[in-house]
Amino acid sequence: MLSIGALANIKHTLQKELFLASGERLLSVVTVVKKKDKKPCYLCVVTTAPPVPVITLCLVKQSEQRDGEYKRKRSWQLDEIKWVDGRNEQFETHEFDLQLEKVYKWYALNLHERQNFLAVLNRQVQKSVRGQRAEFRNVPSAWLSEKSPEKVALGRAAQKAIQHTDDEEDEEEAQEFTALTDKEANELGKLFSECDFAIKDAEQFIEQLSRELHDLDGANIQSVLASEQKVLKMMEHIDNAISEADKFETRLDSYEDILGHVKETMEKIGGKNAMIEIANNNNIKLMKELNKVISQLDLPHSQQQALDEPDLKTTTGRKAAIAAAQCLQQAMNSDIDPALLRLEAVQDQRKRFEKWKQKFSATVSRFMNNLFIHLGNEIGDMPVTSTELTLPNHSNVHRELTPYTELMHWTKAMDRKTYDGLMRVYTASLSKIYERDVRNFFNLAKMQVSEKLRSSREDLDMSTSSRKSAVSTIPYGTLGINREQWGPGVESADRIRFDALLEKVLAELEPIALQEQLFCINFFQMDVISPTTKNTQTTLEMEKAVDMSQSVLAGAVSPSAEGVPQKRIDRQINEDVRKLMMGLFGCLEPELVSFIQSFERVDSFYSLYVLVRLTQHVMSAQDTHSFLSMTFASALVQVKRNFDRFMQQQLQSIREAKLHKRSKAILPYVENFENFAQTAEGIFRKSDRRTDMEKWYLQLVNAIFEGIHLHSQEHPKTPSQVVRMENYHHMYALLAQLKVPGLDALKKEAKTRYTEALKAYVTQYFGRPLEKLNQFFEGVQQKVAQGVKETEISYQMAFSKQELRKVISQYPAREVKKGLENLYKKVEKHLSEEENLLQVVWRAMQEEFIAQYNYLEERIQKCYAGAMINLEFNIQDILNFFSDIARSH
Amino acid sequence: MAGLTIEQRASLSEEEIDPAIMSKKPTAGPALHKVIMVGSGGVGKSALTLQFMYDEFVEDYEPTKADSYRKKVVLDGEEVQIDILDTAGQEDYAAIRDNYFRSGEGFLCVFSITDDESFQATQEFREQILRVKNDESIPFLLVGNKCDLSDKRKVPLSECQSRAQQWSVPYVETSAKTRENVDKVFFDLMREIRSRKTEDSKATSGRAKDRCKKRRLKCTLL
Repeated sequence: MLSIGALANIKHTLQKELFLASGERLLSVVTVVKKKDKKPCYLCVVTTAPPVPVITLCLVKQSEQRDGEYKRKRSWQLDEIKWVDGRNEQFETHEFDLQLEKVYKWYALNLHERQNFLAVLNRQVQKSVRGQRAEFRNVPSAWLSEKSPEKVALGRAAQKAIQHTDDEEDEEEAQEFTALTDKEANELGKLFSECDFAIKDAEQFIEQLSRELHDLDGANIQSVLASEQKVLKMMEHIDNAISEADKFETRLDSYEDILGHVKETMEKIGGKNAMIEIANNNNIKLMKELNKVISQLDLPHSQQQALDEPDLKTTTGRKAAIAAAQCLQQAMNSDIDPALLRLEAVQDQRKRFEKWKQKFSATVSRFMNNLFIHLGNEIGDMPVTSTELTLPNHSNVHRELTPYTELMHWTKAMDRKTYDGLMRVYTASLSKIYERDVRNFFNLAKMQVSEKLRSSREDLDMSTSSRKSAVSTIPYGTLGINREQWGPGVESADRIRFDALLEKVLAELEPIALQEQLFCINFFQMDVISPTTKNTQTTLEMEKAVDMSQSVLAGAVSPSAEGVPQKRIDRQINEDVRKLMMGLFGCLEPELVSFIQSFERVDSFYSLYVLVRLTQHVMSAQDTHSFLSMTFASALVQVKRNFDRFMQQQLQSIREAKLHKRSKAILPYVENFENFAQTAEGIFRKSDRRTDMEKWYLQLVNAIFEGIHLHSQEHPKTPSQVVRMENYHHMYALLAQLKVPGLDALKKEAKTRYTEALKAYVTQYFGRPLEKLNQFFEGVQQKVAQGVKETEISYQMAFSKQELRKVISQYPAREVKKGLENLYKKVEKHLSEEENLLQVVWRAMQEEFIAQYNYLEERIQKCYAGAMINLEFNIQDILNFFSDIARSH
Repeated sequence: MAGLTIEQRASLSEEEIDPAIMSKKPTAGPALHKVIMVGSGGVGKSALTLQFMYDEFVEDYEPTKADSYRKKVVLDGEEVQIDILDTAGQEDYAAIRDNYFRSGEGFLCVFSITDDESFQATQEFREQILRVKNDESIPFLLVGNKCDLSDKRKVPLSECQSRAQQWSVPYVETSAKTRENVDKVFFDLMREIRSRKTEDSKATSGRAKDRCKKRRLKCTLL
């Protein structure tokens, strides 16, 4: 192996021995071995001398004859190389191939040589070959890209750096040749051309050159010497410049001082400006505020005049006054900052307002006062001529007053006291009229009631002239009292007329009251609650002005304002309105009540239909809290109380009913209940009040049942069973006809009681026409019960066949027939014609008699079998008796 | 001969009787007409009566013994009272009926068109009534009830009509359930009763002696 030193050696040797002679330069060499041939040879990259370097690749061999003699074996141009193959990218690879006219396979003895060689070859190829360049395969890319592949090795072995540097210098030298510029080349050319003899005579040329060089040196020294003075001069200049700069600097410093001062001043001025602006803004705001206050508190002269001397009679004057008043109100209630209120001017202005207000308010008060009284008197003076049952309409008053509505609203807002006073005056003057109207109206209505009554009473008297006309105190229709003892009553037709009259009265009242109420609400602005506790307008101490115009509107305001819930506001308003209406129509309720009472005198049943009618009106009223509704409702309460009292009286009369000697079988309350129930049903059938009546029905019917039970025992001539039977039968028929659902149970009860009474009458009261026979066999039954056998009864002394025959002989057919006939007559006498129960009872009695006969026959056959004992009549006889009795009527 | 008499009487009543005049005459109270319901059990006598009285139809059946009803009605503009005696369909002894037949002024003889036996039974009722009343021309209606149940019909209409014709009485089909013809039978019967009464009062107050009346008197004597 060759060391690097050896390599450097061989490179040097080759250069010296072989290439120097031809002026060529060896760029890189690699010692290689061909495979076949063991002798080492050298592959060289050689360049010819400048100016036109031609790079060739050549193969050098050592001469065999003489050591140290090298021969160039072959030479190739670089563009002849087709490709270079490093075989492997590993550093340790020794082989590499070259494709020239054929493939040469080499084995490099030294790795560094190989690397260097390949890199240089590549560089030279890249540099000098135009067109198709040789391709380098399997060569580490670092070798190809790096300029000097030795640098890689440099890091590894520092001590070998010197040799490498040699190489590098060589290389750079080579490169200087190539770096000869055109200009240099030209100059060189020019130089050569100037002394074209040089080529012929080198010595001369050298001499000339050295001469020239010498000249040049001299010139150079001269110029150096000459330039010294210039340098000195320049130094001087520089010194000058420095001093000038210093001067300039001081001047700049003074400028800066001045500028700093100016800046300070500017800042101060800026602050002042800001202050001025703030002051200005404040002034503007103040101005605005003052303008606002003044504009709010300013009252134009014309309006002042309008307030001072209002002309309320004419439309224009009124308009002006109202407008001025509203302006005043607005000004007084303007939303001024509390702080501003302390301004004396504001206070003064407010005092002035207050004066105007008081003055105007007084004027309005006087005017309205007079107007109310005037209107009241005017209507009061008009004579009432109407005989029609109508309430006069006072819409003309309302019409006259309507233009002043806004004035009233103003007064309400501004001067509560005056407003209240005016309201009182209005109420006082109008209530007189309404009182008169209402009185007349009700008097007329009452008259109509009595008129109608009189006419019907006359009819009644005519038709019943025969009846004793003794005035009775017992009200008409009292259930517990006989009809004959009743006081005068009315026909259902009269009742319908009364009802119609009542309806007319109520219907007449409604629009009048409603109209007045509507007017009052509007005129006195009663749908608005204004703060009555805080009088906001003029108090100087007040903290906060409340805008009156924003006072709570009942209809449209959320409960926010004072936290008062809507319902309470409504209630408050309703109460106020009601109070006012109460003042206006104070006499309405007593008059209505007295009117209703006038019915009471005429018709004891009045409370029934008045109850229904009033209920209808109260229920249909939309505003249940209005004055009229409340009035009606309170009248209704009274009527309901009367109704209950009336029913209570009826109930009482049933309980206290007394029987007279000549009482009929049908008890008076049973008889009267039909008429009563029909009347009540006629009134209540379709009414909402049905349930009230049904409650009483139950009580009454129960009382009647109790009464029947009680009175049946006391009846003078009729047996109790018959009384019960007939009355319950009557009640049953009645209840079946009434068809009141609530009374269904009692209807069934009546039927049961009737059936029971019938049975009781037939079996108990029947009286047994075959009394002795019955007694005889009752004795027999006793014996049997004591244990005597039925077949052995005939051996008992008291019940021997002889005894039986004796008893039987007392009942011959003729006697039996007579007995039956008597019984029939008795039954006929007991039973009343109206109830028509004779056939029912007689049929039951026939059945009962046959049953008794059958029983006796059966007993005889059982107990006296074989004795040939028979009753003296048979079933056919009985049937014949029955037929005979039937035929005899 | 008897048939002729009936026809004559019928024509008389229609022409000459003015109810308005006659109602005021006899008593202060309204005229009272007594009607008897007869017929087999379960044919709907009570149902007809209750429908007429209270406008109600009672579904459940409970045999009647005897029930009496009274109602004020307006008959051709005149207020009258009708007494209805609703009777038992089944009686152990027919003679028991004698007494109430006797009290009746007019009869509704009811059968069910769905029950032939009830139709046959009308014959007996008719005979007993005639015997008890002793009057061939007693106001009498043959009533075929339950006509709403026509799909269960057992008695042909023609048979009913021919029997009514044979008796010279009107035949009406009713339904207590649907109230069909219920008012009609009662009112028709009341009209007959009324016209009979008018005739009788004429006869008793009598210019012309009615042959029928005579015969009736004679029969009673017998």
